Amino acid sequence: MRLRVLPPTLREKRRYIFFKVIAEAPVEYSDLEAAVWNTMLDFLGEYGVSKTSVWLMKERWDIKEQTCIIKCNHLSVPAVIASLGLITRLGDTRVAIKILKVSGTIRGCTGR
Amino acid sequence: MYFDFHVHSAFSEGESSLREIAAQAKILGYHGICFAEYFKDKETMEKLKQELEQVEKEVKIKMFLGFEARNANELKRLVKLRRKYDVLLVRGGDLSINRLGVETPEVDILTHPELGRKDPGLNHVLVKEAAKNNVAIEINFRSIMLSTKSTRALVIKHMMENVKLCKKYKAPIITCSGAISHWQLRDPKVLISTAVMLGLELKQAKETVSSVPQKIIEQIKERSSGKWIMPGVKEL
Repeated sequence: MRLRVLPPTLREKRRYIFFKVIAEAPVEYSDLEAAVWNTMLDFLGEYGVSKTSVWLMKERWDIKEQTCIIKCNHLSVPAVIASLGLITRLGDTRVAIKILKVSGTIRGCTGR
Repeated sequence: MYFDFHVHSAFSEGESSLREIAAQAKILGYHGICFAEYFKDKETMEKLKQELEQVEKEVKIKMFLGFEARNANELKRLVKLRRKYDVLLVRGGDLSINRLGVETPEVDILTHPELGRKDPGLNHVLVKEAAKNNVAIEINFRSIMLSTKSTRALVIKHMMENVKLCKKYKAPIITCSGAISHWQLRDPKVLISTAVMLGLELKQAKETVSSVPQKIIEQIKERSSGKWIMPGVKEL
């Protein structure tokens, strides 16, 4: 048996943060995923991360453009962006994260 | 328009060249950056000015020359040469230099007042002075980025206390990356989000990377117009 879907007014308001990884050399998704989770857990703690409802969307990782989308709730956008800014390395590669867009829909982020 | 007013190049403690930093800043969406170097002599300053002009034309991003005073003697020398460069920063951390920084009207920015301290480095008296003399108190992102665990928690706590005081006494706050390499430069939205997390409203946080630096730029223009004599005094 599946749970009934919550009505829109009771659903969490999502935000999608579209970002680009600027790095010395192309990076792998696995390195990005590990860095995002480690940095967020370090900076916000387990309780803090639980309140952000954060999720890194693997299917939105563009290896060619080095862009990805991270999902969170509307109240924790500053916390998630600040955490992304704390990522200094992916593996051995030095990186900087550029925030391209914050939107309520995936289409709004990517324009596709 | 976003600006980062505290970046070190290879001229002082930095690792990257002016060109590398300028190019990265442009990619990240900045309209201008200020290089905060340590003062050596007038010749080096002129050389640095020429190189800045050259890179500014190549990369097409506004570049400003700033000097960061590390002690009282350096500050005295830099105040005397105030017309010859754009931004005067004071490296905070020590209580006496924090006090000197906020009491000197020629100073634009007091950088990381909480650096290496067990207290925030500022109190209500110093923040009132900063508001009076229009000295911006810096939120340094590198202090947060490069510290870990309990040190990071302490740094953030001190920054929050400083932000609270600045809000109360209406002292200007500026958010900078404090980068010493072009890989330490951060997206302006990251700096805004950090300022929000430290207790500022979104509008105020945006002002720390846009309108506060723009006010400093207006002062630079006024100073270079030739009518400026000293803070608060100009020819009509």
